[in-house]
Amino acid sequence: MPALDTPEIETKDKADLDSVWNVVVHNDPVNLMSYVAMVFRRVFGFPREKAERHMMEVHKSGRSIVWSGCREEAELYVQQLHSHLLLATLEKAPNP
Amino acid sequence: MKIGIKVLEDGGILFEGIDALLFKMLIQIRTSAELDDPRVEARFYQVPSHDPEADTLREDWKAFVQPDLHSEFAASRETVDADLRRSQDDNTGLRSLLIPRRHIDHWLSALNQARLALAELHGFSEAEMGRQINDLDDPREYALLQVNIYGLMQEWLVSLLD
Repeated sequence: MPALDTPEIETKDKADLDSVWNVVVHNDPVNLMSYVAMVFRRVFGFPREKAERHMMEVHKSGRSIVWSGCREEAELYVQQLHSHLLLATLEKAPNP
Repeated sequence: MKIGIKVLEDGGILFEGIDALLFKMLIQIRTSAELDDPRVEARFYQVPSHDPEADTLREDWKAFVQPDLHSEFAASRETVDADLRRSQDDNTGLRSLLIPRRHIDHWLSALNQARLALAELHGFSEAEMGRQINDLDDPREYALLQVNIYGLMQEWLVSLLD
């Protein structure tokens, strides 16, 4: 019987697991406000009012934290935002 | 120019009365979005994080996420191109175009790609976006008209999805 390959196991320490990551959307001069709000509703399931509030924050302040949580989920959200061509990054939240 | 827009029962959209200039601009969605320029490349395929702890993420992103995005963007451009190739001339020099409901997201993506690419290439600022266009023989002015026309179409499609 052939030996099974040893699976590669990636370990993460507790501090890594406890870290909170922010999904940040940045302003750009081209994306339409209505389009940005529509993407927020689709990607995060925001109600219209919340989507528009974040969109206005992006427009006026240059950036908005649209979601916070574990890193893996944050990465998936950033990927979806990139697929809609919004300027988005992942940032580690400062320790409380 | 007066364009007729009908929302069909199946959710498709029929544009009628598209003149030669507008049709030329629509045909140019694909070529505009495929501009070969490092600024456009950087805008389409962004770095996911600038965090010092995200070195591996940046490498993985380049290896796994960006190829997926590349395929997604290309699929949208191809869909739009195919819809345009199916558009019909009504023998008066005007054309009609049908966008099936399931293609609307592809149109939104391709229009956005073209706007972003043209804006990167020509360095359009936010203030410049709404200004009057003077000379269509000037490539930069023509590109600004494209950005605005594509934006109007995008706005209209978003409102339809609402």
